[in-house]
Amino acid sequence: MNVPIRALGIATSIFWIFLIAFIALAAYSIKDLNFNVGEPQFAPASNGQLLFSMPLYIDNRGFSDLKAFNLTTVFSDFEGSEISKASTYVSVIPHGENVTIFHNVTLDVNGLLGNGAQYLFNDSSLTASVSAGLTFAELLPAQLSTNITYPWGAPFYNFTLGQLSYRYLSATNSSVTVPMSFENHAAFDVDGSIRVELCDSAGSLLSESQTALNVTSHSSYAGDLGFRVPLTLAALSAARNGHFNVYFSTSLFEYGPMVIPYG
Amino acid sequence: MVEEKKKSRNIVRDMSFRVVKATVRAALVYVLYFFLAPLLAPLFVMVPMLAGTIESFVVIYIVLMILSDITEGTIFQYFFSTARALFVIAYLLLSLGDGVISVGYENFSLTVNLTMFYTVAVVLSLLGFAKSILQAIHFLNERAEADAISSGLQP
Repeated sequence: MNVPIRALGIATSIFWIFLIAFIALAAYSIKDLNFNVGEPQFAPASNGQLLFSMPLYIDNRGFSDLKAFNLTTVFSDFEGSEISKASTYVSVIPHGENVTIFHNVTLDVNGLLGNGAQYLFNDSSLTASVSAGLTFAELLPAQLSTNITYPWGAPFYNFTLGQLSYRYLSATNSSVTVPMSFENHAAFDVDGSIRVELCDSAGSLLSESQTALNVTSHSSYAGDLGFRVPLTLAALSAARNGHFNVYFSTSLFEYGPMVIPYG
Repeated sequence: MVEEKKKSRNIVRDMSFRVVKATVRAALVYVLYFFLAPLLAPLFVMVPMLAGTIESFVVIYIVLMILSDITEGTIFQYFFSTARALFVIAYLLLSLGDGVISVGYENFSLTVNLTMFYTVAVVLSLLGFAKSILQAIHFLNERAEADAISSGLQP
């Protein structure tokens, strides 16, 4: 009986040595792993969506391969509702190699505006829940998760329609000019048009005007909207109160009408 | 009188041998810990409590090992080696729980699934426990046999 007991003891000791050596080497490898996140960028995608691209640099100088690397990002708005979700999967990151992964998430701006127009006119923030999972040293699955807040710049920040100025063209026609200004705080260019309907106090449409826009990121816009109003002098005086219906149309989103009273 | 003196000298020599053996084994375990601890340094940075608990584990393990070596040749040796095996199992159960460790650091949360390591370690500890029990049974069996032989020879 003594021999099997000794054999059991030797076998157990050998397995313990292997296990401890494996864990020690795996833990030691962690210090040779280097993860870096590059500057995330927003860019308009082809199908009217906004592409969020985040470069990830992984330098695996450890003793073993990293397997089943899976990066998942869930974007949510200020209320916590999910806006977009995307995953990037890399099956193997071999040891001794430097890998760059581009993690792309498409954001549907129309969907974002559906949760509130504040993203169009007010600077806000988007919350991204990022979780990265991988199998380390073949046997140890690990997951790292964090919440990151990205600032969201409004494309029509401080959108203002100024005071109406009237000019009589003839007995039946008048010209109305309205100054329009805003600042593009977004990370993308605003390329599209704004259509504005001029309505009187009864809600009847008097005239409409459309302006093409091409406002680069982080720049401001100031221009005039011109309306040709077929009104008599008496009717024109009645139209000094009313509202504008503003329609925004860009390659990324459609929004409107936004009602702005005047007078 | 001479025989008694010889016997007590043997006991002293035997005891000294056990102490030296226990010291050497304890030193070997400590040297192993001394060289492995720096390898685990990256983990200690992420989990500051880990260094303290591993140190306590090594101290208790070495104490039980010394006691087991000093009491060699008695039933207490197996008590202490069984206690050592049970201590390893209890430490693993208490420190690792279900085998999934979650550590929070600033805004980050790291979850490591150690189920595989945990399972193997618990199985090896159970084997160590079984070995101690078998050794105890074997020791008692041998002693009973020796008693039976000596009592059979007496009449």
